[in-house]
Amino acid sequence: MSKFYDVIIAGGGVIGASCAYQLSKRKHLKVALIDAKRPGNATRASAGGLWAIGESVGLGCGVIFFRMMSANRKREAQGAAVAVDSSTPHILPQSFFDLALQSNAMYPDLHRELQDNHGMDFKFEKTGLKFVIYDDEDRLYAEHIVACIPHLADQVRWLDQAALREAEPSVSHEARGALEFLCDHQVSPFRLADAYTEGARQNGVDLYFNTNVTGVLHHGSQVTGVQTSEAGVFRCDTLINAAGAWAADLSEHATGIRIPVKPVKGQILLTERMPKILRGCLTTSDCYVAQKDNGEILIGSTTEDKGFDVTTTYPEISGLVQGAVRCIPALADINLKRCWAGLRPGSPDELPILGPMKGVQGYLNACGHFRTGILTSAITGVVLDKLVNNEPLPLDITPFLADRFEVAPEVEPKEAQMA
Amino acid sequence: MSLQPVIVGGGPAGMAAAIELARHGVRCTLLEEASRLGGVVYRGPLRDNVQLDYLGPRYSEVLAKLHGEFHEQSGLIDVRLNHRVVGAEATRALVVLDVNEHLQEVQYPQLLLAAGCHERSVPFPGWTLPGVILLGGLQLQIKSGVVQPQGPVVITGTGPLLPLVACQLHASGVSVAGVYEACAFGKIARESLALLNKPQLFLDGLSMLAYLKLHGIPMHYGWGVVEAQGGEELKSVTVAPYSSTWEPDLSRAERIAAQTLAVGYGFIPRTQLSQQMGLDHGFSDDGYLRASANVWQQSSEPHVHLAGDMGGIRGGEAAMLAGRIAAVSILLQRDVLDAELARVRRDRYLSKLKSIVRFRAAVDRYTERGAGQTALPVADTVICRCEHATRADIDRALEQGVQDLASLKMRTRVSMGDCQGRMCVGYCTDRLREATGRQDVGWLRPRFPVDPIPFSAFQSVGTEAASHE
Repeated sequence: MSKFYDVIIAGGGVIGASCAYQLSKRKHLKVALIDAKRPGNATRASAGGLWAIGESVGLGCGVIFFRMMSANRKREAQGAAVAVDSSTPHILPQSFFDLALQSNAMYPDLHRELQDNHGMDFKFEKTGLKFVIYDDEDRLYAEHIVACIPHLADQVRWLDQAALREAEPSVSHEARGALEFLCDHQVSPFRLADAYTEGARQNGVDLYFNTNVTGVLHHGSQVTGVQTSEAGVFRCDTLINAAGAWAADLSEHATGIRIPVKPVKGQILLTERMPKILRGCLTTSDCYVAQKDNGEILIGSTTEDKGFDVTTTYPEISGLVQGAVRCIPALADINLKRCWAGLRPGSPDELPILGPMKGVQGYLNACGHFRTGILTSAITGVVLDKLVNNEPLPLDITPFLADRFEVAPEVEPKEAQMA
Repeated sequence: MSLQPVIVGGGPAGMAAAIELARHGVRCTLLEEASRLGGVVYRGPLRDNVQLDYLGPRYSEVLAKLHGEFHEQSGLIDVRLNHRVVGAEATRALVVLDVNEHLQEVQYPQLLLAAGCHERSVPFPGWTLPGVILLGGLQLQIKSGVVQPQGPVVITGTGPLLPLVACQLHASGVSVAGVYEACAFGKIARESLALLNKPQLFLDGLSMLAYLKLHGIPMHYGWGVVEAQGGEELKSVTVAPYSSTWEPDLSRAERIAAQTLAVGYGFIPRTQLSQQMGLDHGFSDDGYLRASANVWQQSSEPHVHLAGDMGGIRGGEAAMLAGRIAAVSILLQRDVLDAELARVRRDRYLSKLKSIVRFRAAVDRYTERGAGQTALPVADTVICRCEHATRADIDRALEQGVQDLASLKMRTRVSMGDCQGRMCVGYCTDRLREATGRQDVGWLRPRFPVDPIPFSAFQSVGTEAASHE
């Protein structure tokens, strides 16, 4: 016996849960959220930074990604690993700034709404994000960033050494100052996902946990449902792919095309609970550091291409420890409580993949959110809700359509043979 | 890279394995987290030259034999006390916190994991009061010969450890107010035949019961703990008759004055390391995860061996036999023994092990946990002591549709504390099984480090930080 839903969301991480929550406010829609938690799902592994500007300019999680990318590029170009040139910041396109900032602006209201209507508190905290400057190279990097975002001048503040010591007394006195992004804040990532999920459940969304989607049903070019291994067949009008690092498999089932989403491993460290020693979130050229609502300090994160491997590894953890102790010397005396690894759903251009695909009906992407899924979950839920209901979108999603990726042209074997 | 086998855990399994290896001329490294060898069962008194007569002659005999044999072979055993294994890099290396609180990587050609077990915590109102302790911990206190618990002591739980500890306590001069075995006497009596697989143990059991009777210590069958009362210290304990599924009959509850309440409702294998290594595991009948091993005590990775309670709760004697079998397998892998010799030796240990296994199976049957105990905590009873998650928090999460342990963790913070769920995993999985009707509700993924470690333990920190100047 198959079940029918207007919308089925495959993937119950923060993105799928946000879509479910936004859709659940429409009382006329029957919605199901299907999820199988697999080791490494990014929502649970995330740090929970809402670093709209920070991530858009390649700091936070991005700083390590950028260092890896440029190290790789240089390795490819010169055949050897060399020091990373940090003079050119890694700035994402304007379309991403718009998406990130619009999403970021939604959190204060969303926080109130989920708390008042559903009793769920995702621990939204206004923290700011400070890029800690140790040396000339860091300063040059920060100056480049500021030069690239003149339109956000009112959200940027320079702190000299004295001001940084005043604002964050625990930061190393080696630091010469900081560049602060005033609108960048933090949440508890898993509480955010749980808040969306519980809000959706209270609004009538059916939750199917520990349920694996194993196939997609079609009628011509129309997606008509999914097959699951635990709960049989589900029929639907629209299928939303919110499968995180596993989204390529589902897109292939649904459309025959593998969207280019790949797991990008990140390792994270967590300390024991501490009294409040940080006022805001920090990022350095080594790592980011965020003290969470319960006093634990979270340190992240690596960027590794290891497939679906989620083991933690000593050299990488040691590297993060080193970066964190350099930034906050007092950490040397406290305890490391836990480490883990998560799989970011990475896309080639670091932008999410949203909306419909050419040639398929009844299928929408909500994936490829890479390192900013927590931040952009709010706007993603709204966009997907509008797409399902054929309403005007809050922003142009053309830059985020899957069709932007050229399907890699087949190597022309004939020519190769002739040559 | 060390070319010698490494043993994790200096309890009976690890010590017996080290002895077996040394007798064949093979040197090994033995890592032990405590300051003394012997594990929880055979650690012996904390001070030298202390006679602990109250522990009974048979215990003292086995203790002396094990430590004596170990001492004879100590020239070939590199013992590293106060070394905690805090993580595993797959099956390549261990991450060890040494006595100076520095991290080391320890590689191994062959490994024996003998990490033992920890006690199963049972939450009930008042279980976090000072004076309420786990039975094994209490026994370790009296074995150490240093601290004595405050009497009167009430002992609740199930299994042969209850009368044993009661006798040891009384013999050491502590007053025991009563022993409350959760299982009905008839259930134990039905297993007498199987228990005779270890006649000596069975007789020991009978003589313990006679001892308790002689000294007027009441032994109640089919009774269990309900609640503990007190403020700064424990004042009294409420016990009640348990049904066959361990539901307390509160209409017949009794309150007993007590300074100490010992709670011993079984053990859980310590699988943090074997899980981090990615070895194969299975669930035992009582719902706990345990690492799987073959007749050679090999895990799913043949060079990694398992022995003792981490592969299923069988006690000290079985641990020693399993440790010896693991050692024989390592000797075979190192070409010290040929296949035939190794097999003969293994089978000799295996046949002894079999009678213990039959005995243990009988104990397991009569001590089988009843599901009714999960009803003991009230709404504000703390379940996860690290994160202060209460029963009401868990109830709410279950009502909201949480179905697996990882989701329960995210929703309530259970197991996110320092102990990584060692204390609350039993209650939480029981509740999830009840709520979902499914046997497999997931298990906690143990993270590195298994116990908290200081940042300064990463030795590179000091040197690397200096180079930034």
